[in-house]
Amino acid sequence: MKKICIFALILMMVLGTIAGCGGSGGGTPAPGDVSPAPGDSSSASGDSSSPTSGEVVWWGWTPGSPANEEFIAEFNKEYPDIQVTWKQTTIDAYDAALRPVLASGDGVDAFQVSAGSANGGIQVFGSQAVDLTDAVIEALGADYHDKLSEDSITTMLVGGELKGLGVGTVYSGNLWINQDIFDRYGLDHPTSYEEWLNVVKTLEANGVGGFVQGAGQGAFNIDTFHAIADNVSPGAFTKAARGEIEWSDSSIVRSLELWKALFDDGIMQAGALGLAQYPEANNLFMSQQYAMVMMGSWYTSNALPGTMQTAIEAASSTDAPFTMIPIPFPDIAGTGHVGSMFGDLDYATAVSANSANIDAAITFAVWLGTSQTGQQMIANTLNVVPSLKSATPNWDVVELVNPAKQNDSIKEYIENAMKTEDNPRFAAISADMNELLQDVLSGVAGGMLTPEQGANQLANG
Amino acid sequence: MGKKQNRKNTIARNDGFLWILPAFIFLVAVVYYSIFYTFNLSTVEWNGLDPVRINVGLGNYERVFRDWIFYRTLRNTAVFFAVTFVVQNILGFLFAAILHTDVKIPTVYKCLVFIPTILPPATMAPVFRLLFSPQGMLQSIFSSLNLGITVDWLAKPASAMIILMAVTVWQYTGMSFILYFAAMSQIDKEMMEAARLDGIGNIGMLIRIVWPTCLGTTVSLAMLGVIGALKTFDIPYLITGGGPNRATEFLGTYIYRQGIRQSNLGYAAALSVILLVLAVGGALLMSRVNKKS
Repeated sequence: MKKICIFALILMMVLGTIAGCGGSGGGTPAPGDVSPAPGDSSSASGDSSSPTSGEVVWWGWTPGSPANEEFIAEFNKEYPDIQVTWKQTTIDAYDAALRPVLASGDGVDAFQVSAGSANGGIQVFGSQAVDLTDAVIEALGADYHDKLSEDSITTMLVGGELKGLGVGTVYSGNLWINQDIFDRYGLDHPTSYEEWLNVVKTLEANGVGGFVQGAGQGAFNIDTFHAIADNVSPGAFTKAARGEIEWSDSSIVRSLELWKALFDDGIMQAGALGLAQYPEANNLFMSQQYAMVMMGSWYTSNALPGTMQTAIEAASSTDAPFTMIPIPFPDIAGTGHVGSMFGDLDYATAVSANSANIDAAITFAVWLGTSQTGQQMIANTLNVVPSLKSATPNWDVVELVNPAKQNDSIKEYIENAMKTEDNPRFAAISADMNELLQDVLSGVAGGMLTPEQGANQLANG
Repeated sequence: MGKKQNRKNTIARNDGFLWILPAFIFLVAVVYYSIFYTFNLSTVEWNGLDPVRINVGLGNYERVFRDWIFYRTLRNTAVFFAVTFVVQNILGFLFAAILHTDVKIPTVYKCLVFIPTILPPATMAPVFRLLFSPQGMLQSIFSSLNLGITVDWLAKPASAMIILMAVTVWQYTGMSFILYFAAMSQIDKEMMEAARLDGIGNIGMLIRIVWPTCLGTTVSLAMLGVIGALKTFDIPYLITGGGPNRATEFLGTYIYRQGIRQSNLGYAAALSVILLVLAVGGALLMSRVNKKS
């Protein structure tokens, strides 16, 4: 009986192999052949909506409640007969939650996607989305390329089809500091490695944390490393990502040495590798236990009193909002190359090809990504830089915590970010490379790899 | 007579088969189909959503055996199993033995030991992260005592693994305790009295009488432990995320990372099949040990 069972199991696996290799044309195709996925349906299952009415379930992870509900409320002023329901997951759970829902073709009409190797990657989820080229032409005209940021179009193309309408771009490469703490101890913004270290030591001597990073959440390590690499040699990170230089190039090795030094010399807080950026490092900054953090332009929305108050309360603090401003990443390599920023489309709206409300979902996606009203709202939340070039934050409406100290620096910051050219954040690296970078950065930081070994590991892919 | 008896036996067997048929159909439809489908999936390269799948034959398996992270997960699993199994069972055995003596309010002790077993890891993980954080409770205590200790243990490979093992021991010692407690209740009292008459002490009684009698329970726990260690997911995923630098990566967390985070469903399926083979192999090995014992 046992032998029969074992035989049956082996037979089942052999059959499985054959079935797995089975192509659509019959016979037993060789590895490399392609076959249609089970349950694949490339066309819609019947649209019951119209461009002005329907029910749309919108999945996403950012910016979250209540901002998304406010977007919906504004949208409903123009389209009262389209009911949009916001369905939010955490950033880490998004891919896992969305995949089966999209595959089932039920329960999602519009969904957020992003560029490159981040969550909701368009290369993975784009196959389930409709082409929005005609919709954007209808909304903005044939010259829509000139009206939208380049990122919002190029990074959303899959096989020549526009699979998502960009909502806004995020940039990274800078630090955010608590200016109130800096003022309290008479500190200047650090511009070099030594100054950064001195600021951290001074703050620690006064019982305040200096710089905090959740280095246990690897994606944010890539941001810090990218900033270091651009400081060592402008564009080094992107060149390596695109194969224009080797990952084992001396500029990357030098960047890894500096990355390691941040941990060894104590600029990074003790135990950084065991801490997550969200919620832990964010909470430590928001509860004013630390004075500096490496975050990008998405953090700008915390300069708004209401948003900051919510973030402070989420960090279990009862303090009042504080003055938070962005500063350039210090010149830790001593090269003079400072101010580099890198960014990607933060999120775009895609429309499920299997939705029963395609027309209504397209109306919503187009409104959010191309209308002056929708994009102005996006601009005023300061969460992302809008895709529509004509939408910029209305500073008469936008009220910051401390306008006297924040207005100029934040305006300048957003303007600089918008000038960023061809320096993608995650769009140039695959999901596998993203994981490898995270491994190497934590390995080098923890002393398990030397910078040279780390660079070689990256080069060997 | 013989033929009649044989026919009766056949009818009885068929009747029995009918009784198990619903469960059998359910099992085949849900469990074995899933295994079959996973194996099928392990022969393709697919992100789970693309309309087409690229057939790679056994290419995913070749890739697994060239993957250093796979070997790291095996090493982590082996270390994790060895340590947690030994510590958990020694503690469970001792607690069970103590509760077979004349302790007061034994029910309270039983509850105290068993409660961690029923607490969901998802609920406890944030507590442990906070406990072992440099800004957490332990650090506050050490700082207030001026001990000069920095609680950055989750940031270091060895200490991060020790924390995961400690949490697992804390959580599952109750299970070992309950099983040992039940096994000890079955020990023949006359045998123990005879041992007492032979002048055996408490420690000797535990080592020479109680422990050998509970060997079957130990083997059963080992079987559960092997399978449990191979399936380990929630505690490392929630507390360390597999880091730093894969120091606490297990097969379960790696499969999730490959399948969901990196959208390599075929590769994740190949890892799952290997996990299945290892789990079945481990269970068969333990079963053989059990028979010998």
